[in-house]
Amino acid sequence: MIEFTFALAIGALFGIGVFQLLRRDLIKAAIGFAILFSAINLFFVAAGAFEGDFAPYVSNVEAQRQTSDPLVQALILTAIVVSFGSFSLVLGFVNIISRRYDTIDSNEINKLKH
Amino acid sequence: MELLIVTAIPFLLAVFLALPAVRSALDKSAQTLLSSLVMAALFIWLLAFAPRLQAEPTVIQSFDWIPSLGITLSFYLDGLSLLFSLIITGVGALIFFYAGAYFDDASEHNRFMIWLSSFAGAMLAVILSGNLLMMFVAWEMTSITSFALIGFKGGKDADAREGAFKALFITSCGALALIVGIVMLSVAAGQMLYPDLGITLVADIESILKAKSLAQHEWYTLFAILIMLGGFTKSAQFPFHFWLPGAMSAPTPASAYLHSATMVKAGIYLFARLSPVMYQNDLWTSMLLTVGLLTMLVGAYFAVKQKDIKGLLAYSTVSKLGTIVAMIGLPDQNGLKAALVGIIAHALYKSALFLVAGAIDHATGTRFINRLGGLRQRLPALFFVTVISALSMAGMPFLLGFLAKEVLLDAMLHYTAPWTQLVMLVIVFSAVFTAMAAYMLIYDIFLGKPRSEIHFHRPSALINLSPVLLSLLSLSLGLLLEPLLLPLLRLAVPKVFELSLFAGFNDVFILSLAILAAGFVLFLLRKPLIARITFPISCDMIYREILAYVRWAGTTVLHTQSGFVRYYLVIILGAVAAVLIASGTLSNIAAGQRLLPTDFSVTITDLAKIFMLFLTVAAGVMTVVVREHVKAAIAYGVIGYAIGVIFLIDHAPDVALVQLLVETMATVLIIIMLGRIRASIRLKMIEGLWTGRHDYNLGILRDLGISIVIGLAVFVFALIALVNRPERDSIAEWHLENTHLVNTEDVVGAIVADFRGTDTLLEIAVFTTAALGVLTLLARGRQTGGAFVPQTLQPSSLREFDEDVVEEIQDATSLSTPFTRSVSYVVLPVAILIGIEQILYGGRGPGDGFTAGVTIGLAVSLWYIVFGYYEAKRQLPWFRPELITRLGLVLAIANAVFPIVIGKGFMGHVEFDRALGLYDLIGSFGLHITSSLIFEIAIAITVMGGLGIIIEAIAYPTARSNGRQENAYDEHETMQHV
Repeated sequence: MIEFTFALAIGALFGIGVFQLLRRDLIKAAIGFAILFSAINLFFVAAGAFEGDFAPYVSNVEAQRQTSDPLVQALILTAIVVSFGSFSLVLGFVNIISRRYDTIDSNEINKLKH
Repeated sequence: MELLIVTAIPFLLAVFLALPAVRSALDKSAQTLLSSLVMAALFIWLLAFAPRLQAEPTVIQSFDWIPSLGITLSFYLDGLSLLFSLIITGVGALIFFYAGAYFDDASEHNRFMIWLSSFAGAMLAVILSGNLLMMFVAWEMTSITSFALIGFKGGKDADAREGAFKALFITSCGALALIVGIVMLSVAAGQMLYPDLGITLVADIESILKAKSLAQHEWYTLFAILIMLGGFTKSAQFPFHFWLPGAMSAPTPASAYLHSATMVKAGIYLFARLSPVMYQNDLWTSMLLTVGLLTMLVGAYFAVKQKDIKGLLAYSTVSKLGTIVAMIGLPDQNGLKAALVGIIAHALYKSALFLVAGAIDHATGTRFINRLGGLRQRLPALFFVTVISALSMAGMPFLLGFLAKEVLLDAMLHYTAPWTQLVMLVIVFSAVFTAMAAYMLIYDIFLGKPRSEIHFHRPSALINLSPVLLSLLSLSLGLLLEPLLLPLLRLAVPKVFELSLFAGFNDVFILSLAILAAGFVLFLLRKPLIARITFPISCDMIYREILAYVRWAGTTVLHTQSGFVRYYLVIILGAVAAVLIASGTLSNIAAGQRLLPTDFSVTITDLAKIFMLFLTVAAGVMTVVVREHVKAAIAYGVIGYAIGVIFLIDHAPDVALVQLLVETMATVLIIIMLGRIRASIRLKMIEGLWTGRHDYNLGILRDLGISIVIGLAVFVFALIALVNRPERDSIAEWHLENTHLVNTEDVVGAIVADFRGTDTLLEIAVFTTAALGVLTLLARGRQTGGAFVPQTLQPSSLREFDEDVVEEIQDATSLSTPFTRSVSYVVLPVAILIGIEQILYGGRGPGDGFTAGVTIGLAVSLWYIVFGYYEAKRQLPWFRPELITRLGLVLAIANAVFPIVIGKGFMGHVEFDRALGLYDLIGSFGLHITSSLIFEIAIAITVMGGLGIIIEAIAYPTARSNGRQENAYDEHETMQHV
């Protein structure tokens, strides 16, 4: 059941992110971009090989307790920081675009190009 | 080991010259002296190998490189590579010295020397490598350094850019062919190391058998042609020769070194090296002979037509390279002998002539032959050099060039094939034209009428030293055959090698004199003759045509680019779907997989997670439907926090901590960014979208449709992946069981800092790159139409901005209340303490390098928000993000590399406390000083610095000239209007 809910939420967030990217408002597109990152991180945590009732520490392992999957956590840990870096870069681009073209409407920028 | 060191030294020299401290401490003459002495020392070192090679024919030294693929870093020195490496270091020492006098500007000189010594290292690596793959890597390095040297003046000189591109384009196309050829050859022979391939200087039964079987191989034609293409392009053989004249836009020392003495000989070296392996098939020898002769002819014929001295020298180099290639194509050892003598003679006289051309350019400001004349009195030393070197080029008796021509003609007279007569004719014809070019160099530049119109400034006498030494060698080496030249040549061509400068008035001697005389007649007739030299089509034109087609194809393809994200999305996803369905991958994946969960039970924690998931989706919908951007940003923050809570419920404390901190940071970032975008722009967008103007919402159904399809697809994939995820048989188990080996409690931390440390290293590098991107976009790139503003980020330069400072503080007042100020003061030290705690004790509880970095980064960003840019800069002088980031990356890399030194391999686990005997002492504080801990510290410093860069770039005040800029705090006013 929980898998089903996770999949539903991931799909929904992904769809929302893509929709934001498709629309004309660049600020919301940037937010949509960040939502895509969140959806992927969510997928990672759900895709862990096993779930557990304890954090992955050596003491828990030695006590034969069922820990959560540390590998996906390590993946997400670095992914969060890197996606924050790319997100700030996207925001920087939006900022520069708004300054240079005096608009945050992607359609208008397209018109300027031709 | 010695050969590795020999190859590494020029690279180390380049790094040394690039160090800022060295650049400021050593002036131009010290750098010149140092670098030429280094090359001279290498020359002597290599020379010392000669006695050793007399005892054993080869020196082989090998190190593991990629052991899993059987690739080694192997070095191979025999008589042939010794000869080439002596030219590289010997001529190199003289040219390095010359460069000091050639460049007036010290920083240009330094930049040039960095590239030139890197090139010398790459070239030595080509010659000394002991397997084909390593040779190829070095080969490509010479192309790249050559590109930088040809385009050295590219900043202001379009010719230099074009020449550099042309050279790189031609040689790397050739290199592509070469790598395929090398791989095919290695597969066909089953070997890659030189000795195993059958590369040898003395043909024994074994190597002949190997060569014979290779010649019968079904791929032979293909890989022989591919390898030859590589060599032909590199050594400027017809029809690829035209890049060499184009490369003359390089500074002259580079032309003399790369494009005459060394790099263009790499192709020749390749042919000479592989000949013992390849020569058993006629294709090899006949192709080399044909292409070489054609090149010889084309080069000699067009050389005399050139107006630029360097152009003339370039074409004559092409001609000589052709001669040498043709000689290697001769099936007997006489050919190799002629080639080697030719290489030495050419390296000496041609680089001397190039250096003269550079000095003349330096003295008169021109290199055009018809503008020069009568320079004999003014530049007597250079006149001497030119007479000796040009006559050596022409083959005047008893100079070294004469010897080369003698061996060449001798080899041809020994060659018996149906076409010998024709081949002989081609050689004589080219030699006559070469002699003519040599006379032109002497007469038209130094004799004749002095030109009064040229501006003359006397170059420093030091510029003469290298060319004079080179020409003295041309003069004397022919006379000092037995003590100097012959022993070296015998090492390279071990079969009976006899050579004498004067063998009596035989056919060869008479032919040489006849060539010189015929060249003189042509020289007297040069004016009408040169006017007649034309050719309707040149290779350069064909090259341009091809480039034009490439450009046309590029613009044509560009027309299909609409610039709308939706088209790209639809095309990409459509293509992926089509491939998946058509190839049957999709049905393969789906087969045997459950599509629906079997377990429908719901626990209490599941309920909590479901609630949080619902929250994320609801907040996601909010980001779409709310009007104001600020509200969308806050809704986005809600998504982040909800996901953080999910991590927490899933027993991932480290991840949850990072997620919550970063999400805070991201939300703050969006809001600050919003403040930097003019409110009117945003209002226009919002009004357009929400006041029912029809055209703003055109296509909304289409976009909705696309997103629903994508969302559904992701849902289905995610469901299949999650439902069918493997049970406990995961590599995660391994990590859980082995974490205790690296002295930490936290398995996630161990994976990040140790097991998968290389990934993390790359990831912090990516993060830093992104941060620098933001900085470039916002703080540096803003100044359009002018130079970059110097580092105003230094607190010491703040006084010049006094007015700005005042204004900045006033801007900040809206958020700068006594309360927020005191909070900021308190938060920063606390954050730093928390950060330190998280790094040191991250192994025991939540937190690690990432959380520490983000925590401190957040505290600093609070300062920038509350106090504004200048005030924060003034109050936190120690916070210099770029420096901090640099420090973090250097620490991370040093920590990763250090284990190699003690033999534990890249990113190995080192227990510093145990090594120092402090294990128990430090351990009593619950700490372990290991390489993982140092890596965590490096991660924290890098992340903190990167965040600092981003926040500083964002807080950087915008240009005042555009009126009062909007800032974050106008957001409040804006909101009231909406």
